[in-house]
Amino acid sequence: MKKVFLIWAVLLLAFVMPKSLSASSEGGELAIKETIFHHLGDGYGWEVPFSHHHRIPLPIIVCDNDGAWHCFMSSRVAHGETYDGFYIAESGDYKGKVVGRDANGTEYRPIDLSITKNVLALFISVFVVLLCVLSVARWHKRNGYKAPRKGVGAIEALISFVYDGVIKSTLKENARRFAPYLLTVFFFIFVMNLLGLIVIFPGGANLTGNVAVTLVLATLTFLVTNIFGSKHYWKDIFWPDVPLLLKFPLPIMPVIEIFGMFTKPAALTVRLFANMMGGHMIVIALTMLIFIFAPMGAAVAGATTVVSVIFSIFMLLIDVLVSFIQAYVFTMLSTIFIALAQENPHHEEHHDE
Amino acid sequence: MELFTPDFGLIFWMFVSFAVLFILLWKFGWPVILNGIDSRADLIDKGVEYAQNAKEQLDHAREEADKYIADARRQQAELLREADKMKTQIIEEAREAAQKEAQKVMDAAKVSIEQSRKEAEQNFRNEVSAFALDIASKVVRNQLADEKAQTKLVNTLLDEIEKQN
Repeated sequence: MKKVFLIWAVLLLAFVMPKSLSASSEGGELAIKETIFHHLGDGYGWEVPFSHHHRIPLPIIVCDNDGAWHCFMSSRVAHGETYDGFYIAESGDYKGKVVGRDANGTEYRPIDLSITKNVLALFISVFVVLLCVLSVARWHKRNGYKAPRKGVGAIEALISFVYDGVIKSTLKENARRFAPYLLTVFFFIFVMNLLGLIVIFPGGANLTGNVAVTLVLATLTFLVTNIFGSKHYWKDIFWPDVPLLLKFPLPIMPVIEIFGMFTKPAALTVRLFANMMGGHMIVIALTMLIFIFAPMGAAVAGATTVVSVIFSIFMLLIDVLVSFIQAYVFTMLSTIFIALAQENPHHEEHHDE
Repeated sequence: MELFTPDFGLIFWMFVSFAVLFILLWKFGWPVILNGIDSRADLIDKGVEYAQNAKEQLDHAREEADKYIADARRQQAELLREADKMKTQIIEEAREAAQKEAQKVMDAAKVSIEQSRKEAEQNFRNEVSAFALDIASKVVRNQLADEKAQTKLVNTLLDEIEKQN
C-alpha cells in the first residue's frame, strides 16, 4: 500500500510540477546562472516558499558618507524603490547591494551593517548552538554524575567525540586551554552547515559557503595559533634548523616559513567555503535541470524531474555527511596548527632520541 | 562576484556573533561539561575499583570463613579425642585405685584373720593342752608314777599334731 502511494506521488510530481512551473516561467528567459548565484549569495530579505515577490523583511543598517546612520526595513527598498536616498543597485559593481548617491550624483557604497539573510542565519546558528551546549551544561550542573539520555546525551557524545578524539589526543596537556575555542568552532560550523541544508526559513542561507564567514573563522585560528605560539615556534620560523646558507645571506627558509603561516588559514578558508558552496551549487543545479528541460515536453520533463529529485535528495544526504566532515576537518586542522605552535624544544629533543 | 569578495557587514557580524558565542560558552558551557564528563569518568573508575575490591574481599572472606570452620572442626575433634582419652584414663585410674583399696582391705583382712587364727590356735592349744592335761591327768590318775614323763610325752604328741597341721 505504501509503495503504491509512493509511486503515485512520484508520478504526480513528475507530470504536474514541470507543467505548472513552465507555465509560470513563460514570461521570460530563465537565467540559470543568476538564479544559482542568487540562491548562493546574500540578500536583504529572506525568501518564502512559493513566492518570488514576497520576502521576510530584514533591517538594513547603513552609514552614509556624512557619518549618519540610517536604519529601515528591507521592504522599503524592495522592487527597485528608493528610500532615504538608498536603493538596491540593479547593475554595476555593487549589484544587489544597498547603494546611495552622494552630492555629485555618483553611486557609492555606504558602510553596510545590515542584518541580511546571512547575518540573521548567523544569529539563529548562535542561538541553536547556545541552546544545544547549554542544555548539556545545565544537565551537568543539575544531575551531577548521572549520564544524560536522548538529545542531551547525543550532544554530549558529540562533544566527547571531538574533545577526546581530536583535541585531547593532539594537544595533550594543553587540551583544556584550547578546548573552548576549538569546540565552539566545531559546533558553530556544524550547526551553520546543517542549517544551510534546510531549504525554508530558519535555514537555507549559504553561510559556510560564504568566504566572509570562513575567513573570520580561519583568521581566529591564525590569531590563536600565533598569539599562543611558543618561543620554539617563533625560532623555527625565523631561525630554523637548516644549513646556514639557507637562512643567512638570503633568508629563504624564513620566507617560506612566514609564507606557510598564512597559507594555513588560507587553506582553511578555501576548504570549508568551497566544499559547502559546491554542495549547495550541485543541489541547485540539479533542481534547475527540471526548468531547463521543462519546455521539451511532458515526457522528458517528467523523467528529468524524477531523476533530479532523486539526485538532489542523494546530494543533500551527502551534504549532511559533508557538513559533519568539514566541521570536523576544520576543527582538526585548527587543533593541529595550534599544537604545532605549542611544541617546545624539550619535547622535540625527546622525540629525536 | 559577491561570493568571493568578503562583505564587510558579514565579516563584522560574524566576528561579533562568534565572540558572543565563544564568551558565553567559555564562561557557562565548556568548563562545566568537560569537568562534568571528567568527574563522571573518575566516579565510574572509582566505582569499578571499589566493586573489584569488594568482590576480592568477599572471596577472601569466604575463604577465611571456610578456614575458621575447618579450624573449629579440627579443634572440636581434638577436644573430643582428648575427652575420650581423659575418660578412659579416669576410668583406668579409678579402677586402679579401687584395686589398690581392695588389696589393702584384703591384706588387712588377711592379717587380722591370721592374727585371730593364731590367737585361736593359741587358745585352742592352751585349751587342748589343758584338755589333754585333763585327759592325761585322768589317765595318769591311774598311773601316777612318773608325772613328768607323762607331760613330756603329751607335749611331744601335741607338737606332732601341730606339725601335721
